[in-house]
Amino acid sequence: MNDRIMQAVMGLIMYGGDAKSSAMEAIQFAKQFDFDQAEEKLKAANESLTLAHNAQTDMLIAEAQGEENTITLLMVHSQDHLMTSITFTDLAKEVIDLYKVMESK
Amino acid sequence: MSKKIMLACAAGMSTSLLVTKMQKAAEEKGLNAEIFAVPVSEAIQNVEEKNVDVVLLGPQVRYMLHQFEQDLESKSIPVDVIPMTDYGMMDGMKVLSLAENLME
Repeated sequence: MNDRIMQAVMGLIMYGGDAKSSAMEAIQFAKQFDFDQAEEKLKAANESLTLAHNAQTDMLIAEAQGEENTITLLMVHSQDHLMTSITFTDLAKEVIDLYKVMESK
Repeated sequence: MSKKIMLACAAGMSTSLLVTKMQKAAEEKGLNAEIFAVPVSEAIQNVEEKNVDVVLLGPQVRYMLHQFEQDLESKSIPVDVIPMTDYGMMDGMKVLSLAENLME
């Protein structure tokens, strides 16, 4: 695996993972009805997702340019991180909305 | 006596890479340490079975820090999250220093 791809793979794991952590923290704040902090964390999650997404784009560009890369387990694992984080962040938003409804009842 | 440093992340996979780098760093420093990675789901079990000296969490499981702090407080085992930049760069030396500082 060359450095460019390795960097992209680590970017996916790092930013994807960071997004998931932030989204989980957002839910934890919502649980205490602290919606300002929850929204902050959700925003941070989305920013990390963008960075992760950019890392993935780098990998796709490299491939489109004809750069051949061996698919490694770590590479697949990094994609797994990204997909999980996207789903997780989307659902976190829904969960926070639910807590908002609970607070208003 | 060799120090036991345990790293934990979602699947114990990306931290395994870091373990290799940290082992190299420990060798260079002449530090006698046993460093290994586990998935968070098996972390507490490993703490009990292997008498670890310090626990480091991958940034992707940062949200579990509070839970780990609670679980490890009674055992007086320090725990912290690996900074995202050191993790991304796979900086074995820096993460090893973090572990050493926590054990002091």
